[in-house]
Order: sequence, then structure tokens, then C-alpha cells
Amino acid sequence: MEIRRYILGRLFQITLIFFVILTVLFLLFRLAPGDPVSRMVDPNMTPEDAQRLIEQLGLDLPMWQQYLIYLKNFLKGRFGISFHYGQPVSEIILNRLPNTILLFTSSIVLAAFVGVFLGKIVSWKKGERIDTWVTIGALVCHTLFLPWLALIIIWVFAYWIGWFPLTGMISAEIWTDPSAGLLRKGLDIAHHMALPLTTLFLIHFGSYLLVMRSSMLDTLREDYILTARAKGLDEATIRNRHAAPNAALPVITSVGLSLAFSINGGALTETVFTWPGLGRELVFAVSNNDYPLAQASFLLIAAVVLTANLVVDLIYAYLDPRIRY
Amino acid sequence: MALLEAEHLSIGYRTRNGLLRAVEDVSFSLELGGSLGFVGESGCGKTTIGMALMGLLPANGSIVSGALRFKGQNLVGISDERLRKLRWKEIAMIFQAAMNALNPIQRVGDQIVEAIRLHEPEVSAAQAAERVRSLFSLVDLDPERSRDYPHQYSGGMKQRAIIAMALACRPDVIIADEPTTALDVIVQAQILAEIRRVQKEMDVAVLFISHDIAVVAEVCRHIAVMYAGQIVEQGTREEVFETPAHPYTQALLDAYLTIEEEDAALPQAMKGETPNLIVPQKGCRFYDRCPHADAQCRQEPPTWISLSPTHKVLCYGPRS
Repeated sequence: MEIRRYILGRLFQITLIFFVILTVLFLLFRLAPGDPVSRMVDPNMTPEDAQRLIEQLGLDLPMWQQYLIYLKNFLKGRFGISFHYGQPVSEIILNRLPNTILLFTSSIVLAAFVGVFLGKIVSWKKGERIDTWVTIGALVCHTLFLPWLALIIIWVFAYWIGWFPLTGMISAEIWTDPSAGLLRKGLDIAHHMALPLTTLFLIHFGSYLLVMRSSMLDTLREDYILTARAKGLDEATIRNRHAAPNAALPVITSVGLSLAFSINGGALTETVFTWPGLGRELVFAVSNNDYPLAQASFLLIAAVVLTANLVVDLIYAYLDPRIRY
Repeated sequence: MALLEAEHLSIGYRTRNGLLRAVEDVSFSLELGGSLGFVGESGCGKTTIGMALMGLLPANGSIVSGALRFKGQNLVGISDERLRKLRWKEIAMIFQAAMNALNPIQRVGDQIVEAIRLHEPEVSAAQAAERVRSLFSLVDLDPERSRDYPHQYSGGMKQRAIIAMALACRPDVIIADEPTTALDVIVQAQILAEIRRVQKEMDVAVLFISHDIAVVAEVCRHIAVMYAGQIVEQGTREEVFETPAHPYTQALLDAYLTIEEEDAALPQAMKGETPNLIVPQKGCRFYDRCPHADAQCRQEPPTWISLSPTHKVLCYGPRS
């Protein structure tokens, strides 16, 4: 029962935070210098279309009414029409979001698993050669500048050796081929995803490994580890059943944080690899003054970050009884 | 034959400045069902002895010389594999209550079941859980609470659970290292009573380690007073309490306020500090702090003097 109360409490908090973000975004886009009509309505629209949009968004009404309409539109999923694409913003975003989620979730989850596993192993061999080299390697990966690493990886594997495609997420010839099955299409995406995935993996796994390693070293000094030894357990059981589950808890926090930050880094990665995701769309929208698209992207990013945090909290609660009760 | 026996045991820690002799030439024995208490201040080597018995000395610590026998079998140089089999099954340990001796993310009962099934694989999970319930009853814990996590327990409950865990495999010896140090006085008294009771009921030998001579006297029939890595006085509880022979034991006992004496002055802190254990001094280790020290004490280390068949002291001129 405690867990249900905990989840409900967290859901309430997150809804509240999201509402605040929603309001801040509203104010940001209305109070910015210039005329909101010119920002929310595409100058190239016909006067009739423009008038319809102005009415739909309530841009000719007082601020508080605009706010209510803004909330209503948000609940109905209406974010206006993208200037650039001439399509409803919600369609564009729903189109891009899965791509972003696919790339980031898989790379971060992979990085977390590898980081935790290697961190656990090297902490057990502290001071030995493998510990030194793996730790140095992780430190290097952790401090690498992401765009630089991305460009080097593209240069080596896509351009020089040519194992992987240079850009994009799919090959047109496969996806337009009616005989191509799901497997072939999936493999095609994986082929395109390999390089951005590797880049994100390398950037993230180092920090997870370092966190796990130091957390393990702290945990090994805990008294319950001494108890486990005194009980007569063998080293592998002590490491895997008593030390690692406790030591992994801070890593989960770190994963939550990097999921949140990966959206920023995501814009860079997606741009370098021309990955058709939300981060790239946001950069595009901002640099092309596509306000409706930018506003909705910001909202969605907030939603993604909050959801990721919620998921991390739930995993934490599942793993650590001290949180749940 | 004694259940547990140490002969001229010396234990050292390798440090950057040289070998630190934490325990020097210590001999004692513990009979089946008996109780022996080690008293002394922090750093006198009492915990080191406990850890050596469990084979849990830190990586830089090792037994330098002497023998440590359990049921006649020398524990010095024994293989890890055989030591693991001895641990908990034969020699269990009760740790300090303040220490996180229980894994915070596992149910308390499961941690005890783990110990049972490790040493008795033939016991089913259900049987082990049943044993945990009866152990909980034995130490006055509600058996239903075995499904709880450690953070749901109070300090005293944790300590009871740890005692239950120590008894799980019916060991012959329990080493209790400062088991009541972090508890308040009332809970401390309850836990001590608990240890005495289970010791009697299960006929288990107890090796009790504490800085508090009054606590040791509550539980143990025999007391060994340690100073700077050596046992300086050894005897029955009555002998050590009523006729303390070593000046250090006398100082320890003087440090107690008695309730009866109103307006009694606070006990005086002992002057000086404990000696350096890396470069031991020539004579008696207590020389610097001893009120009765003379030239002989400074030149040569003292030898044991027997005051009774059970009472002996490491001092030139024991005073009573």
C-alpha cells in the first residue's frame, strides 16, 4: 500500500511541475518583445486561414483569456500549425518523438548496464592493472566533447571505412521497397543507429562506471559486507547479492539525471548524425523562428524529462525499501 | 580440551611506518559454554583478536606468530574454503548495534535464512523461515517482523535480530564485539540480559569485547584486561573486580562513579597516552602512566605473576 501512496504522491508532484512549466512557457512566448500574432501565425498564410488560427489560439483576446484557451488547446493537443511544414505541430512532434526515445533510451540503458557491470568488476580488483586501465578509459570517455567524438566516429566508421551510413535513420530504397519485411526495415534502422548509439554510449558509460566503482568501494566498507563475510558467504555472493545492489542505487540517480540532460546533448547528437528526432527539430524550429513548433517541443521535452524522472523514482522505490515505506 | 585457545598470539598490521603490533603475546582459553570478556580502551587490540578468530583481519593485518586453536584445529594458515565453512556455523559474531550490520535492502528474515541455508543446504526455505520465526521468539522479537526491512527496526530490535542471526546455525562460540555500545542504558541492560539468557539456554560460549568493564562483568565469568596489545590481567569476574592487581585495572575501576557516594569527585583522567605500538618501549608498556612505576619497570618488561589458579597479572609489583 505504501508503494501506491508513493506513486500517487509523485504523480501529483509531477503534474504540478508540468503545470508550472506550461505557464512559464505561455508567459515566455507572450511577453517576448514583438507581436504574438506575428509569432504564432505564419506570415505566408492566406488572410482567412490566419484569421481562423488567431481565433483558435485567441490571440486577439486579453491575456487571461488567452491563457485559458492555451490550456484548453493543450488538453486537446492543439499546438498550432508549424510555419515551416504547414502541418499541425502535434503531428510533426508525434512523428519525431519515437525516434528520439529509441536512440536515447537504448543508448543510456545500454551504457548503464555496461557501466554498472564493469564498475562492479573493477572495484573488486581495486589497484590492479585492469582497474587502472578501465578507470582511465572511463575517465577519458566521460570527459570527451560529444560533437568532437561524434565527428571522429563518423569520419572513421562512415567515411573512411564505410561500414555505416553517413546520415539519417532509414534508407529510402529499403522503405519504399514493398517486398521489404519488418526484419529488413528493423535492421536498416539498427544499421543507421549504430554510430549515434555508440557515440552516446561512450559518452555516458564512463560516468556510470566511475559512479558505480566509487559507490562499490564505499559499500565494501559497510558493516553489512563484514556481516556477509562473517556468515561465510563466498566473495562472488557478497559482491553480487550484498554489495552491488546497494552500490547501484546512486547510478540510477545518475541515469535519471543524464536522461534529463540528454535532451540538450540530444540536439547536438541528432544534428551531427541528422537523426530525425525532437532535439534536431527544436534546434531547427528555434533557428527558423517556427514558434508554434518550438513551444510544443519545449513542452514535450519537459514532459519527457519529468516522465524519465518518474520512471527512475519508481525503479528506485522498487529497489530500495527505505524509499517505499 | 578448551574449545577455543590462543597461545602466544601476536597480530600485526603492515603500515607505512612499519609493522604495528596490535596484539602481542596473548594467551587465553575459552571452555565450552564459558564466557570470557576482553576489556580495554580503543586501540588496545581487543577487536583485532575477534577479527582474527573470524579470519576477517583487514588485508594489511596478519597473525605474526603464535597459535589460535578451535577444537584443537589451528586457525592460523587455514584455507579460505575451510574458514568459510567454520564461520557462522561454529563461530558467529554479534556486531555493534550502531553499525549497519544488516543489509538495508534485504528483509531481515531473508538475511538470516541466507546464513542457515548456506551452512545447512538440506534445510528447505520454508523450514529455514520457520527457524527464523522461532529464533525471533527466542530473542523477544515478534516473528511477524522478520518480513520487515532493517530501517523499520529500532536500535534495540536490530540488535536482537543480530543476536537471532548469530544463533541461527547453533554455533559453539559467539564473539560479541561492543554489542551494546550505541544503545541507551535501558536497552543496553535488556540486550545484556538477552545475551546471558540465550547463552545459558543454548549453552553457547561467548567471547565478549567491550571498553566498558561493567558491561563485561554483567555477562562474563572470566575477564581479561588488555592494554596496548597485551593482556595485563586475567581472572574470574570476582577476582578482577574485588582484588584488581594491575594498576591499569585499578584505574579502570576507579573511573566508575558510584551512586551511593554523594558529592563524589569526578574520576580523574589518566595521565599520559597509550604507547606507540610500532616501536615498543623496552620495559613495561604501562610505565608512562603507572603511579607505581620504578626503575625496574622501565628497563625490563614484566612477567606473569599468579595470584591464584585463575588470577594472574603482568606486573612487577602487583598491589591490592
